[in-house]
Amino acid sequence: MELKVNQDNCLGCGVCVVACPVNASISPEVAGGHGSKTTEVIMMVENGVIKIFSPEKCTKCGTCQLFCPTDAIWLE
Amino acid sequence: MVSNTKKVKAKDFDIVRSAEEKRELSFKDDICIGCGICEKICPVEAIELGDIGAIIRTGADEPKIKIDEDKCVLCGMCNVGCPVNALKLKIDDEPISDMDIYPHYISSAEIDDDTCVYCKSCETACPREAITIARDLPERSKLVTGEIEIDKEKCINCGICEEMCPADAIDMEHKLPTSDDPTVASDINVDKDKCVYCLICKKVCPVDAIKAVCRSCSYGVYDLKPEDAETKGSSFIDEEACVNCGWCQEICPVDAAKVEKPFKGELSIDTDKCQACGACVDICPCNVLSFPRPTKPGEIAEKISKDERYCIYCGACENVCPVDAIDVKRTEIKHTPTKSKSWEKKLESLKTKT
Repeated sequence: MELKVNQDNCLGCGVCVVACPVNASISPEVAGGHGSKTTEVIMMVENGVIKIFSPEKCTKCGTCQLFCPTDAIWLE
Repeated sequence: MVSNTKKVKAKDFDIVRSAEEKRELSFKDDICIGCGICEKICPVEAIELGDIGAIIRTGADEPKIKIDEDKCVLCGMCNVGCPVNALKLKIDDEPISDMDIYPHYISSAEIDDDTCVYCKSCETACPREAITIARDLPERSKLVTGEIEIDKEKCINCGICEEMCPADAIDMEHKLPTSDDPTVASDINVDKDKCVYCLICKKVCPVDAIKAVCRSCSYGVYDLKPEDAETKGSSFIDEEACVNCGWCQEICPVDAAKVEKPFKGELSIDTDKCQACGACVDICPCNVLSFPRPTKPGEIAEKISKDERYCIYCGACENVCPVDAIDVKRTEIKHTPTKSKSWEKKLESLKTKT
């Protein structure tokens, strides 16, 4: 399975960035709702839409997909 | 010629080798708990565990395991290793789980119907919905004794008793008055199978039309038989769905359920690493893990809580944790003996190396 995004659906809310457990362990401040301070994370909101930076770090737990309100991020 | 053929039916599969002896390996995806033991135990690396987190949590249309039929030698080790019997090898149509020559886990779950009081706690608690309790409740009329009568001459058809009766035992046939019959009801009756002789109707009747007496407390003991108060029933455990987690045994108030688990071990969670994503909570087939709720305002609850009494040490949570916060150790594998050194070694390999 692969992590996929659809930037046309994305509202840029950043819920996936904050919910992702891998992101939070790489950049702990995102767990508190803050934006990531590093591009080492799996995904981040850039220019108002979600962008994947490090797909290889994804363990496919499905948390981002469960939280995304607009089906803009998913595993396929 | 020996060849393996694989039939895929939705997410399930059957691999068949037709030679002098027919071997068939079947996989049932809905029983699979995604623990990955088959992947670990397969001697030819034919099995690949899917992305269980995403598959279970998002309902993705993917099988939990993938098998390469060119690599599979139909040895049956995955069948023996699977703690929930999702994989089944049949040799000439006989399942190897029925053959003594193959080792099997020593595990069981039983409910003793003689001890069971049919409270249904286990049915509600079972995380796999494997338990069905069928119960016959006693007849209410046999648990009370008394007398009741409505004086229909005195009755003014007000319907107050009917409205007040807690047992729904009084039935009044309401009607509109007509010039030839200027009454508001044609009849009133008490269903003696429903009446519990609480005497509410008698007290509430504005014209004292009801005569009723309860005998339960006075000499009612002579009228009532204790066996009439017994709830009868039967219990059923679906062996295919049961994972021997122990919920029924722990929740049973009368110790009627007995569970023997195939593994012993230890489950530890590093709460510093844990990001509370809930993947383990969703994946655990035994409801071992949960998110505690704060008990008072402002309290910060623990990130995650576990109760190892229900754990089968399958390791599904450890596999799925995205941040390596979970460690499942298996210290004991209980299985029937096998003469094969290599099978013994493979089963022993499921223990955590210390």
